[in-house]
Formats: sequence, C-alpha cells, structure tokens
Amino acid sequence: MDNATGYRVMDMRTDDILARRTRRQRKTAVIVAALFGLVVWSVDVTVIQDTDWQRIGSLGEVMAAAGQFAGIDFSLFPSLIGPTIETLLIACLGTALGAVLCVPATWFGAMNITPFAPITYPIARLMMTLSRSVHEIVWALFFVAVFGLGAMAGVFAIAMRSIGFIAKLSAEAIEDIDPGPVEAMRATGANTFQVMLYAIMPQVLPQVIGTVIFEWEINIRRSAVLGLVGAGGLGLVFFRQMNTFNFHGVTSVIIAILAIIFLGEAISHAIRRRTI
Amino acid sequence: MAVLEVRDLRARYSARGPEILKGISFDVEGDDFFAIIGPSGAGKSTLIRCINRLVNPTSGSIVFNGHDVTKMSNHDLRLVRRDIGMIFQEFNLIDRMSVMDNVLAGRLGYTGNLRTLFRMFPRKDIDHALHLLDRVGLSDHVDKRADELSGGQRQRVGIARALMQDPKLMLLDEPTSALDPKISREIMALIKEMAQELNVPCLCNIHDVKLAMEFCNKMIGLQDGVTMFAGPTEQMNEAKLDEIYAMEVL
Repeated sequence: MDNATGYRVMDMRTDDILARRTRRQRKTAVIVAALFGLVVWSVDVTVIQDTDWQRIGSLGEVMAAAGQFAGIDFSLFPSLIGPTIETLLIACLGTALGAVLCVPATWFGAMNITPFAPITYPIARLMMTLSRSVHEIVWALFFVAVFGLGAMAGVFAIAMRSIGFIAKLSAEAIEDIDPGPVEAMRATGANTFQVMLYAIMPQVLPQVIGTVIFEWEINIRRSAVLGLVGAGGLGLVFFRQMNTFNFHGVTSVIIAILAIIFLGEAISHAIRRRTI
Repeated sequence: MAVLEVRDLRARYSARGPEILKGISFDVEGDDFFAIIGPSGAGKSTLIRCINRLVNPTSGSIVFNGHDVTKMSNHDLRLVRRDIGMIFQEFNLIDRMSVMDNVLAGRLGYTGNLRTLFRMFPRKDIDHALHLLDRVGLSDHVDKRADELSGGQRQRVGIARALMQDPKLMLLDEPTSALDPKISREIMALIKEMAQELNVPCLCNIHDVKLAMEFCNKMIGLQDGVTMFAGPTEQMNEAKLDEIYAMEVL
C-alpha cells in the first residue's frame, strides 16, 4: 500500500466496513432499548396495575404477612411421612411409565429408524410436543377427572409429561449414532429388532439412562405439587395447611419437599456419575 | 541479544505424573526461524505452550526480551502475551464469527471489555486487518464466516490474527499438520515471508522434517523430553534424524 491510489482504495473499504459495523451496533442498541421498554411495560401491567396495593398495606404489614411462615409445625411431621413416600412413589412410577410409553415415540421420532417417515415421524413429533406443551397440573386435572382423586392420576400426569423430554433426547441420540455397527449387523442377516438391540441400544443406552434419571429428578419436584389439584402426595397436605391458615404447617411441608428434592438430586448425581 | 532465552526448562502436568520436559535450553535470536522437531509425544507442544504459559513449567527460566516469563503475575503475563503471536494446528478460529472479527480478535489484548462487547475496534485496527487480509490473500473473504473457508484459508486467517498483535515473537504449533502437502508448503512460505518482512522471529513445532529443513535456519530435536540435537539446520543429517525418531512406533 505504498502508492497513493492503493491507499485510497484501502481507506474506502475501511469506511465501508466501519459504516456497516456502526449500523450493526446501532441495530443492537435499538433491540436492547426495545427489550428494555418491553420489560418496563410488562412491569407496569403485571406489577403496578395488577397488584392490589391497598390490600398489601405498609412495608411493616408485608413483613408481618411473610413472617407468619417463620416457624415450623413439628407436630405435623409424623403425618407427613405417608404423603412424602407417596410423592416419591408417584415420581418413580410416573417416570417408569413415561419411559415405557416413550419407546414408540422415540422409535417413530428418530429419522434414521422411523418405519415410514411421512406418517410415523409427524406422529412422534406431535406426541412429543403435546406431552411437553401441556403443563403437569393440567395433565393432573385431566387424569383426576378420568380416574378420580388420588395418586393414580398423579402417576399418569407425570408419565404423560415425561414422554416428550425423554423421547426427544433419546431420538436425537439415536440420530447421532455411528452407522457402522448398524451396517455390520444388517450384513449378518439380523432383522430390524435384532439390529436395534445390538447396534443401536448399546450406543444410546448411557445417554438414555442419564436422561431418564434427570427427568426423574425433575418429576420429584412436579409430584410434590400435583396434590394441589387432588392428585395425591405432599401437595394435598400443603393445600390443606394453606386452607386452614396453618402457616407453620406450610413451612413444614416445604421442608419435607426440600428434603426429598435433595435426596433425589443426591441419588441422581451418584447414579449419573457411575453410569456416564 | 537473544529475543528468547530458555534455560533448563522442566515441566510435568501433575505432581506424580511423568516429566514431559527434562531440562531444555535454547536461544531464539532476532531473525531466527527456529524449528522444534521430534516424534509425537516428545514434548514439542508442551514446550511451545510453556513459552506463553498456556502450560506452566515446573522449573527453569524463560526470558523474553529481558523479562522472566515464569515468574510473572497474571497481569504482566497478559502484557507479554500481547507481544507473542500464536498459530495453531487446528487453527482455533471462532467459527461463528466473520473473518474480519476473527482477525480483529488479535487486538483483544488492547481492547477494553465494553468495546469488546460491542465489537468496537478503532479505524486503524480495521485498516491494519484489511491490509493483513490483502497480504494473506483473503481480501475477497472479509465478510465470510470462518467456518465457510477451506483449511488453507482458515490457517491464513490464523496468520493474520497472530500478526494483528504486532508480535515480537511468533509461536507456531504444527501450523501445517492439518493441511495437505502443497498447501502446507504455501503456508510455511507465507509465514516465513511475513516474518522476515516484519522482522519477527518464529519458534515452530513441526512434525514434517522436510519442511523444517527447507524453511528453518536452526532446530532442536526432542525425544521424550530430552534435547537430542541443537544447532543450525545444515548440521542436521540422516543419522541424527534416525536417532531422534528411533523411538517412534509406526
């Protein structure tokens, strides 16, 4: 760039690049400003307009209302043992049922093994989306209506809610496998089922187990609240304590929920570390 | 005075692990293209990473322009790293960024956090980057994403990024191992040409002995962390090479 023309060309290109970069920075600034405006607007609608400021009262009253929960109703603990176990069982059974139900969804939903892609693939995707887009409370309301009050509705709600996540991740794992072993098993004359058992299962099993355990851990949290709509477990006790204004009892239930969640996390961590 | 003086350098990755470098010493002077050769596992990559302390040596000294790198605080180390350009075997570009942004990344050591966040680089940096991209033959690819380029082109971006630092020393870690023979020779020629033009000494890990003999004026041969040969390239011969590569299992 030692001749004059060369330098001028260079300068024009720099101007061009600088102009484009500045434009992009401005665009970013506009987007950030717009997002900020959206947040302000949301706060206005949800917090400022939608809150009954009269009822909240002074800061002292807010603190007093929150303070009602400070305290533990120890007398409640013996009667929490049953519901706690029930909550754990809902999570375990729900996850197991979900894992079984998601086998067809996984099979249909993995592009490389789906039996007839134009029909089975969309079916699988629909199952996954339906499972995940309906909230577990809504699933529970549905199954309470079907089976009546009790833990069975909870088990089915958890199972339905689990299908989507497990199936989606498992199907993706299957899509990412090394096709070599599949080819080799086919070459021996194995049928489709045998190919799946020998060439696909071993490759995806660690990941699938990891996913199921992770889902189980999440399901403990979910089953702890399902009782709010009558589907068994700790949620039901929680609901009762709240209705009878026994706020210390509410805290006791929260402690029980925390305990099983910690337990679930510890178990999940231990198993995942050993298998993956 | 030598730009880089390495004395009795020793390194191991863990307290009980094997010693990877067992007392290496050499000098790199102002106009050297200095090769480190040796079989896989000899410690070449560890050695070159000790120079800018991507790997911390266990003992010995590395004096760069009169300052001992091994005893530096993190802040001083970052200042020294700005003066040492590095080129990698697998290029190590940011795939999702444009060629221009990848080259400008060479200026991060001189750029504040806020400017980095908005990728606001001064006009002279962009000028400099364009000039370097012209020199490495990528003027037509300025706005492309790095992952759209071929291997040879990607390494050219790597070269431009390293030179963007205005380095006082270049570290080349197997710059051509991921490239085919023809492109390898082009890349080595380009690096050497740029280094001579900008007066930057180079320290180069290289597996390919033929390329090393062709482009480098000095070399050391490592075997299992020990120096088996050190001297000007002319003194290297078949017998010495056989000795250095004797342990390589093919």
